[in-house]
Amino acid sequence: MFYLVSDKGRVVGVEPSTTHPVSRGGLCVKGWNAFGFVHHPDRLTTPLIRRDGELQPASWDEALNLVVEKLRNVQERHGADAVMFASSAKATNEENYLLMKLARAVFGTNNIDHCARLCHSSTVTGLAETFGSGAMTNSISCIDQTDVIFVIGSNTTEQHPLIGSRILNAVRNGTSLIVADNRRIRLARHAELHLRHTNGSDVALLLGMMHVIIRDGLADHDFITTRTENFAALAAAVADWTPERAAVATGLEAVEITTAAHLYAGAECAMIFYSMGITQHSHGVDNVRCIADLAMLTGNVGRPGTGVNPLRGQNNVQGGCDMGALPDLYSGYQKVSDPQQRQKFARAWGIEELPTTPGLPLTRAMNAASVGLLHGMFIMGENPMLSDPDQGHARTTLENLDLLVVQDIFLTETAALADIVLPAACYAEKDGTFTNTERRIQRLRKTVEPPGEACADWQIICDIAERAGYQGMRYSSPAEVMDEIATLTPIYGGIAYDRLDTHGLQWPCPDRSHPGTPLLHVERFTRGLGHFSPVIHRLSAELPDDEYPLVLTTGRTYFHWHTGSMTRRTHLLDREEPRSFIELHPDDAARLEVRDRDMLLVSSRRGNVQTEARVTTMVIPGVVFMPFHFAEGAANALTNNVLDPESSIPEFKVCAVRVEKLP
Amino acid sequence: MRVLTTDLLDLFITRLANTWEVRLPILLPDGTRVIGSPDDGTPALHGGTVLSKPTAAFFPQQETLFTATKGEFQEPQAPDRLLFVLGFTPRDLACLRFIDRFFADGWRDNIYFRQRRNAVVAGLSGYSGPGGSLLPPAGGNCDLELFWDGTLWLAIPYSDSGIKIIAELPDTAPESAMELFRQATLTPPDENENLIKRASELLRADRVPDSFWAEIGDRCIACTGCNLACPTCTCFGVQDWRSATTVERSRMWDSCQLDGFMREASGHNPLGTEALRTRRRIHHKLAADPEKWGEISCFVCGRCDSVCPTGIGILAVTREMVARFE
Repeated sequence: MFYLVSDKGRVVGVEPSTTHPVSRGGLCVKGWNAFGFVHHPDRLTTPLIRRDGELQPASWDEALNLVVEKLRNVQERHGADAVMFASSAKATNEENYLLMKLARAVFGTNNIDHCARLCHSSTVTGLAETFGSGAMTNSISCIDQTDVIFVIGSNTTEQHPLIGSRILNAVRNGTSLIVADNRRIRLARHAELHLRHTNGSDVALLLGMMHVIIRDGLADHDFITTRTENFAALAAAVADWTPERAAVATGLEAVEITTAAHLYAGAECAMIFYSMGITQHSHGVDNVRCIADLAMLTGNVGRPGTGVNPLRGQNNVQGGCDMGALPDLYSGYQKVSDPQQRQKFARAWGIEELPTTPGLPLTRAMNAASVGLLHGMFIMGENPMLSDPDQGHARTTLENLDLLVVQDIFLTETAALADIVLPAACYAEKDGTFTNTERRIQRLRKTVEPPGEACADWQIICDIAERAGYQGMRYSSPAEVMDEIATLTPIYGGIAYDRLDTHGLQWPCPDRSHPGTPLLHVERFTRGLGHFSPVIHRLSAELPDDEYPLVLTTGRTYFHWHTGSMTRRTHLLDREEPRSFIELHPDDAARLEVRDRDMLLVSSRRGNVQTEARVTTMVIPGVVFMPFHFAEGAANALTNNVLDPESSIPEFKVCAVRVEKLP
Repeated sequence: MRVLTTDLLDLFITRLANTWEVRLPILLPDGTRVIGSPDDGTPALHGGTVLSKPTAAFFPQQETLFTATKGEFQEPQAPDRLLFVLGFTPRDLACLRFIDRFFADGWRDNIYFRQRRNAVVAGLSGYSGPGGSLLPPAGGNCDLELFWDGTLWLAIPYSDSGIKIIAELPDTAPESAMELFRQATLTPPDENENLIKRASELLRADRVPDSFWAEIGDRCIACTGCNLACPTCTCFGVQDWRSATTVERSRMWDSCQLDGFMREASGHNPLGTEALRTRRRIHHKLAADPEKWGEISCFVCGRCDSVCPTGIGILAVTREMVARFE
């Protein structure tokens, strides 16, 4: 957590909090530079309307009336579900709640989602099924109390640097570290065991480990008997997954799998951390199920220093989910398909009836739009042109919409395609709350005024509701919105601004006297008994072949954040990582006669991009890695728009590409 | 020597704010103390570490150097009111003295001195150290100093401005406070200062092997906090923000822990590894600066150790260095 330093209406620096239980006086490089884009001259300062093919300045009245008129128009022609609302994991809880309310109460559709669809929807689905709650089970401070840390599919020191640092410190103090990730990430250099399994083979690795644990008598049968159900099905599913079979499927040695199983299961307390390496697969939910199964099998849930800990990447992606910016859930994971919940929200919002069927996930909405089944999109603080798989598909889809409204702080690659652009305030210019990865709801405080006519997202949303004829969104401040959230959302029932002044509160926090919950599933799982959920191993959708012989896996770099709209406008961060690159193993580089910093053409079945070679042993032979931050050399021009059937997450982590040296 | 009692503190600050742009330690909602304006929070002159460096009042993390509109250059105007910065510990004052020399040497940095010139610098000592520990009086390097004896402040002036500012405070310092002040002046240098000196000797004698730096560098996550928190780090980067009609040039704190800090246009980097960069950071303070400036430029304020997430602040590193190679 940090404070902003301002001088004469401008933010001029940051100060870390010295008392915060997570940041503890430190910040990562993005935190230290978080002020750097706030006053950038590219900030949007006035609404824009496309006239004669060009985005031109307009008044708020014109722009917002047009938004309402056009949204209504699309709905009249094609039905209420012909529009999609995309909320934002960068916006506050209050804003996510309000956009969800706008979609459902004012425009009568459950087509509301946000970019958690692209990062942790597999977690929400997988952990809801097994544990009953799709969030980190434990707190970050538990790292100091554990014996073994198992990190799988998370480059923690780069993507969650303070958590990664805490893991490094724990290792120095004697905690054992297992890293499963075929890139040689910093954590791997400090690990007792580094498993470089092939991309997409996590299920095989985890089934193999569970096989060993049961075979060698390391399962926690007391826990299994008293706290869980469906163990027999799991035991049957892993029975054939000998470490030898898992070794074939993963490219590891059998002994590595056995060692990992013994190390993890042999500990009194063991924590699992995972992130996109687990979730962003066409079998992402199955990966999550396996992780939950592994933790339950060894009794590593519900105690300090244990747990299943999905690391949420954006400042408020946990909050975006909590607030019901999801097509099937209201705030607090209450189902839209449940008539009682629907009635509760309808009554509170003064609406006769709320839509009954779950809406479209963001990724499926894009697919629907591409075949003419969805006609309008309202996108708040998202940039699908760079963040969605298969950029060509994303571009055609967005260009073909009857209506595209984008509300953002910069004219992103997506906003540049919009019919109407609404200028928003950034985080430094508004009040609200964010919920961090350990479910900690924390205050955001306004430091400076937004530039020009830019407005806070919550104010814009409320204004749209009013112009659409709905009077139930009149709030004097975000605090008042939170009061409404608390009345409708049991896990946020005790949340109010006057309680968040110091370090916030961790949900569930059901009432005003509740101190918050650092540890989930202590005596019972949220769903009652933990549910073992066996899976079968499925291959990734697109594997390398003669034409496209390399596996491309995509991700992030330490210095940039997602599509770079902020970090690429932050001088030091962009200086550190100024351009697109591809990591290539020296063996592959030698075969292709490529040297470090050569320009390469990378092609997949979706498209091709030019990017710079980074020859490195970070990756294994046959695998290349690209970050997706860069508009020039966009990794997502290559990725495969194939979705997990349950969570609708795209398979960003595996597709097949060809690499050629440019003359 | 004058006396400032706690019941007079608010009035004292209010009066200062009539004349000066006041910066002083304040308490924020989560218990963090920073150097800020009296409007930003409750004044909290003692009670733990102030992580923010008071030198930032003169050399902020980011500041505009000039704007150019249609070919006309405009430098930011000098501040309307001069700064009064309270919150320098004796070690911070040594840091300020060092960067005053740095910014005045050769090409005089007018951007820095625009804020620094004629500003009032006020020190804090007595039981106002981390955890209520006793800080010996600075005895100079500032316009005035406030020495906390646990119940009241002794106010000691060292310049005409200082004399004027505390002139109206009572001169009835209790003998117990005076005695504590006298005793505190006799406090010997602490072991951390000796540690830094010993580490400096080791480095200058080239007795620290590369393998040590590889090990330390491997723990660096390039957060840059060590540099940004350091009151004697003065490196900055420069950026231009261009709009249709205007270019705004500003500078911001930079960090030698970053790869881009020394990366050449060719892509080659003479400091291309964390090991080399970490070595340089420590070496610069303990070996290069003594050559150039005649003194070690780490004054043991402890901030880099406080902000480093992986425990490789300068004290932690020098402690390890001395233990292994002395």
